[in-house]
Amino acid sequence: MRVLILPVLVPFLTAILLALLTGKPAAQKALAVASGIGLTAFVFWLLRLVDQQGIQTMVVGGWEAPWGVAFVADRLACIMLCLSMTVGTLVTIYTIWTVEPRQQEYFFYPLLQVLLLGVNWSFITGDLFNLFVGYEVMLLGSYGVMMVGATKAQVRETMRYLAINSIGSTLFVVGCGLVYTTVGTLNLADLSERTARLGGEQAALVTAVSMLLLVVFALKAGTFPLFSWLPDSYPVVPVGVSGYVAGVLTKVGVYSLLRVFVLVFRQPGHELALQVILVLSGFTMLLGVLGAMCQWDVRRILSWHIISQVGYMVMGVGLASNASVATAAIAATIFYVMHHIIVKSSLFLIGGIVERVSGTQELKRMGGVLDLAPGVAGLFLVSAMSLAGMPPFSGFLSKLVLLRAGLGGGHYVVVGISLVTSFLTLYSMGKIWTYVFWGRSELAAPAAPYRALMVPTAVLVAMTIGIGFAAQPFLRLAADAATDITDPRAYVTAVLGEPRR
Amino acid sequence: MELVMAAVIGVMFAAGTSMILRPSLIWVVMGFGMYSNATNLLLIVCGGYAPDWDAPFVGTSAAQTPLMDPLPPDIILTAIVISFAVGALLLTLSYCVYLDHGTDDPEGLT
Repeated sequence: MRVLILPVLVPFLTAILLALLTGKPAAQKALAVASGIGLTAFVFWLLRLVDQQGIQTMVVGGWEAPWGVAFVADRLACIMLCLSMTVGTLVTIYTIWTVEPRQQEYFFYPLLQVLLLGVNWSFITGDLFNLFVGYEVMLLGSYGVMMVGATKAQVRETMRYLAINSIGSTLFVVGCGLVYTTVGTLNLADLSERTARLGGEQAALVTAVSMLLLVVFALKAGTFPLFSWLPDSYPVVPVGVSGYVAGVLTKVGVYSLLRVFVLVFRQPGHELALQVILVLSGFTMLLGVLGAMCQWDVRRILSWHIISQVGYMVMGVGLASNASVATAAIAATIFYVMHHIIVKSSLFLIGGIVERVSGTQELKRMGGVLDLAPGVAGLFLVSAMSLAGMPPFSGFLSKLVLLRAGLGGGHYVVVGISLVTSFLTLYSMGKIWTYVFWGRSELAAPAAPYRALMVPTAVLVAMTIGIGFAAQPFLRLAADAATDITDPRAYVTAVLGEPRR
Repeated sequence: MELVMAAVIGVMFAAGTSMILRPSLIWVVMGFGMYSNATNLLLIVCGGYAPDWDAPFVGTSAAQTPLMDPLPPDIILTAIVISFAVGALLLTLSYCVYLDHGTDDPEGLT
């Protein structure tokens, strides 16, 4: 199916056109939004097609799989593409009003497209080395949007982010090389089939190699103990695009964990990696939320919450070590990712609005936003309650399915930690609410116009309410996507054709 | 031969790690360069090689000579391109940081 190249090709061509349009701000914005809306419509069509007709594949380079480079759209990849493009497009619309002329001169919109290109590539590829290339493109895009405008703080934090991620990338290449040597292929479907047939020393060797990749993905997802880069670097990302960076980038790490550790590594003893992930998830949740509690800057609080929420998703991956609840746990993770990308992006977008209304980033100097901008308070309340897991929003259901999988597998400790974390999240959200929205403001009117920004934000908030109230289709989709990757037969057949023997 | 290569790669990774841990951005950049070269060497070893192997062109080799596996060199090429770009960006950024802050000690940046 040739159109599978579009999620990669469209942002690529758009980035080039946008770079050529530098100096024409209005035309750049129009093109970026139009391309985003078009591609979003396409990925939703693709999701529907894949859901009804099964996995779609495409192999480029004139060779058949497993030699050619495969693009594979299964349900999980399509769900991630839909989330990435929906948030990406809404963020593009949001930045129409927030981007500064100086940032736009420094190729803000082309860099944003490069970021989308890398993320989409990572989701749709069916090849481990192309996953690495997708990561690199995504990282280069994220360095770009992070330092666009080049203030002192941006340059400094981008340097740190760049340094740690370039080490991670090196490990990824090493991992690819070692996987190729031990298993003899890099195609994900082929790997999945071959690792399942390994035994003895070979299997142990692959498990050891998989630990290297675990480090890479854990670094990208921001799990314990590799999260220290995250709370410093995300706050310097320009308002607006921070919604995309915060919502989607760490989830690429979670997606890779799901794809590689559940679908690909199936050698005897592969549960070890999942058990390690489960242990890490407990620390990630708790330390993330504790870090958030002692911060006094809205963006930093929200950044620490990303870490703690990643803990929940990674917990779902870890629960898959227990075969009896594996599918339920993976389904819960996928549902949680859907919920989290939407809610976290909307919270960062709301954070941007609040900063505009109150004219400051510091929590203690805000206050009275409830009087200045009551609509924003409403949006925040819904998102914050959803993040903490209060019914009836999507956060409640996503935690419910996750905890049920955890209890079913008998992992009481990590379930207990997750409940404590959820309670502390509520406290932390309450802190933002008290300091930002209550109290009295020194300003008589909002410091900057903000109403237009509420439109894309409200769409995201409406989605978290919608997923909360009409959860059944989303849960069904997540469950089917989970079955696709816990039982890779359909995936392998779709990529490699019918078994040759 | 593989043993020698393994030792060289190990030393290079160790050296890279020690450079990255130094409190100076320029050392971090050099350490990254060391890492990427060590990675490329590792990939060469991963591909396997012997002096009598032929280049992997279809139709040029007599049937009995084994061919090089073309995939690892392919990966190395891509990795070189990427690490070159990232290395250049790292170097530029560390210079910007030095201009902004007057120091390249990561601890001194606030």
